[in-house]
Parts: sequence; structure tokens; C-alpha cells
Amino acid sequence: MAYNTIIQQGDFVSTGVDKIIALRSDVDWVKVYNLTNIAASDQWDGVTWWWQREMAQDDAVVEFHAAASQVTSMSTCAVGFNGLVLRGISLIDSSDKTPGAAVAVTAGTNAVMPIYSTANTGRMIAGSIVRIQNTAHDNIDGLDFSVDTVTVNTSFRLANALATAPGVVAGAAGTYRLIAPNVTVYNMMHPKKRVISNITAAAAGVVTTLVDHAYVTGQKVRMHVPAGCGMTELDGQLVTVTRLTASTFSINVDTTGYTAFAFPLPAAVPFTPAQVVPVGEDPSYGLLDDAQKNTAFIGIILGTSGTAGIAAGSPGGTTSDVIKWVAGKSFATDIA
Amino acid sequence: MVLNEAAKRLGVSLRQTEDQLTRDMLAATASFINCTGGVNGDNPTEITRSDVDTVVRTLLSADAYTIMDNIEGDDKFGTAPVRDAYFGLCSTDLTGELDAVAGFIQKNQYPSPMNALRSEWGAIGNLRFLVSSVGSKSANASNLGVDVYNVFCVGMEAYACIEQDQYSAKFIYRPPIYDGPLALNASVGYKFAEVPRILNDEWIINLRTTLS
Repeated sequence: MAYNTIIQQGDFVSTGVDKIIALRSDVDWVKVYNLTNIAASDQWDGVTWWWQREMAQDDAVVEFHAAASQVTSMSTCAVGFNGLVLRGISLIDSSDKTPGAAVAVTAGTNAVMPIYSTANTGRMIAGSIVRIQNTAHDNIDGLDFSVDTVTVNTSFRLANALATAPGVVAGAAGTYRLIAPNVTVYNMMHPKKRVISNITAAAAGVVTTLVDHAYVTGQKVRMHVPAGCGMTELDGQLVTVTRLTASTFSINVDTTGYTAFAFPLPAAVPFTPAQVVPVGEDPSYGLLDDAQKNTAFIGIILGTSGTAGIAAGSPGGTTSDVIKWVAGKSFATDIA
Repeated sequence: MVLNEAAKRLGVSLRQTEDQLTRDMLAATASFINCTGGVNGDNPTEITRSDVDTVVRTLLSADAYTIMDNIEGDDKFGTAPVRDAYFGLCSTDLTGELDAVAGFIQKNQYPSPMNALRSEWGAIGNLRFLVSSVGSKSANASNLGVDVYNVFCVGMEAYACIEQDQYSAKFIYRPPIYDGPLALNASVGYKFAEVPRILNDEWIINLRTTLS
């Protein structure tokens, strides 16, 4: 395994979720050190990981404490140890918008924040963007939304409340696709348009978006509210954003006298959902550097898991682990 | 000879990259209308005349200028006059769908086909469709999980590519003597610095559609 040009290095404190690292150029190899695990000497803790070209995605060579000492052994993440298959290191190109494979969901609840049951949550984490399809929740099918609660291999929940529940009491078996691990990867261009899940009637109406919006205070956006969504008084209005949360912002419009907003029910399908479209300058950027800002990047994902044993052996680590990494290019690769 | 061929291919690559970046910006940012007039049971549905009329009406209501002038009717068999029109920019996958829309006029049915652009497929109402093999497509994005095609319906000056750093594109050739001490290899390539930008958000609509 040739060390040649190191293109980038860094460190971070694990938050217990997949660590996404943007790199300045393409990469041929990555090495990761978990300093916390190295010092602790706990059995089954991973200490170093190595990935290079031609290794599978989400895999790596892992060196781990085989006993409660500094004695180490080696394996791969795909094979794992202690009976657990581990997460590894993956390449990421955020401009690649190919959705994940369709995964079965067995049911969906009729709530403003529906919970979908699945035996396979895959690499989904809180903050991931998913798309459900072919369920009885026709009105949500095909739309992207953020998830906030992921119970590993059991269920996930739509994070940003709809104005009205999907309206189907019976199960909503179908499929889901993982679209992006988080909103940073999801946004190739910043800021993007968003589908609206709710608008309150208030002196300064509060807008909730299906996918976290990433807008900032002072931003100008145009509201698109078709007839099937109520509150058509807002349709076409150019408004100013005051950011409240990752998924909500208020607007400089008194909506108290307006028709109540409603998320269309399944019977309304096919329909066009309400949208918010950024049109003005984002104060966080300079002139002519707004809606067209290409934020796509290439980099790596250091995987981890909500299951403690897997996280301890994976490069993304467990919460509070201090992790260092180095990534590089080889002058030449001789691959069979 | 090799250099000429490389220059030709790089030129195509440059402009195609430019188009793809513009395409991706429009897909990310422009407001959309789902086709709802079709019968394929999906959301969006396949494209229909009512969907085209909705888009045209919306652009007209926003005072968007049409891009192309009328093509006046002529005394020729099988032809029909063409209205002044906005452009619909879309994938070549949609050509069969467009053929099936009520009121579709093939470009060879224009009174003067020479007025049609090379990439043009035809016209429906006040929309003339330009097709490209790299037209915008959102994979697995419909209710039923099939690909959704983005048809960017644009009025005049709805968007632009803005040059940055005093240049738009540069073709670069470095002969071998500048490329290494042994003068073994030449370098040829391009770079460009420009930004696609929506100029008026009301003059562009992404009409989303699926195949029938």
C-alpha cells in the first residue's frame, strides 16, 4: 500500500453519526485513527482503518483490540469481528443524484408526522432525506422529506409535520429510497426550492418545509400555493424569510385572515404541491452568488451505527471519540 | 491531426458541461408544475395538452416574453401556422410523448421548416420543444417510482450564463517543451468560469412529467 501524496488530513470529534468529509480532490487511499479507542484499550474497539482503490464501498481493513489490552488484530469491516459486520469507508460525489435502491416499508401511520415501518433502515440516520413510493399515502409518495427519528431496522419518522395527516388509516406498504444522508449532500445547488408541508395562520406566518430548508434570515423567496393547498392568497407573493429552525421560517406576511393551509389528501393525486422558491440574494453570500451556487463536492463517508458494538469497530466512531484521518493520492495504481 | 480531433471533442465537452450545469441549476431552483392531465395513474402524469396550456397561461400571466416569432401559414399541404412561442427544453426520451399530445405540430409541418432549430422537435400551442440527449431527468422521482422528466419552459431572458473573471472559456494548449524536462507530452484542455442564473423566476417553469 503505497503512501505518496497526502492531499488532506484532519480530525473531528464523533457525534455518533456517519462523518462526511469533503476533499479537495479525488482520493486513492484513506487512513483513520480513533485516538480515544487507542487510549482506552477496550476489547472489540477499532483503532485504525485503511481503505484504498478497488476495495468495496463501506469497507476497510480494520485493526482492533482483540482483548482488553494494546494487543491488536486485523480484519475487514465486511467480515467484522465479535460476530458483527462493521461499517467502513465510502467515497461520495454529492453531484450524483442517483437515489438509493427501493427498500420495502410494511406500514405507515396516519399522523402529521407519519412513522414508516421497515426491516431495513440501511444507512439512514436522523437528518437523512428519503422518498417513499407506491404506498397508500399517495399524497406523500414521490416527495422527498427529512427524517428525524430512526429506530434501526424498525422504523423512521417524517421530521417536519404536515398540515394534515396523509388521510389513510390502513397500512401503507410500499417502498422507500434513501436520497441523501443529510441536507448538505442533498443540496447540489444552494439554496434550493422546497415543498411546503404547512403554513400557519399568524401575524408572521410560519412555513414548514418537507426537507430542511437551509435558508437564512433576510432571504427573498416566492411562495407558490396551488388551489388544492388552501391559502391561495399567498400564491405568487414575494416574501422575506426569518429563519426559525432547520425546517421552519416565518415570513413578513400576516396570514391570519387567509384560507387555512391544507396538505392535499390522497384523493387529490395527481397534484402540484405548494413550494417555496428562492429568488433573491442570500445575505450569507455576495452578489450573484446565490441560487446558482454549486455546492457539490467529492469526499468520503466514515461510517458508524446506532448499534454500540458496530459503532465501536467502525471508522465514524461513537459519540465523543477523537478521530484523526489522512487521505491521499498514489502516483500510480497497479490494479489487477 | 490529433490536436484538431482533440480540440473538436473538447469543444463539445465544454459546451455540454456548460449545458449540464445550467440544467442542474434549473432543476434545483425553478418552480415546478406537475403534469396532471394524463391517465397513467402516476404523479406527475404523462404530458397532455391541458398541462401545456397551464404552463403557457402561467407564463403569459407573468408577462413573460415569447422567444420565437410566429411562423405565418402558407399554402402548402400538411402544414400549419406556428404561434409565437416559449421554449420547452427537455429530454429526447419525451419525443414520443410529445407526438401524442393533442395539437402537436412536427417541425417538418411548419410552413417554413428552415425556421426550426436543429434540436427542435415541434410545437404545441405557444410552446416549441427543444430536445437533448442530456435533458433533465430526476431518477425514480414519481409516486410510482419511475423517472420524472423536467421540461424547462422558459420565456425570453428567463435565465442567463454570466461570465466570471473576465472570460467565459479558454482553450489551452501547452506544447511538450512546456510540459516536462524531456518534452515528451503535450497538454490540451479547457477551462471556463461562468455562472448560470435565473433572471426572473416567474418566466421559467419546470413542467414535470412521466412517460405514458
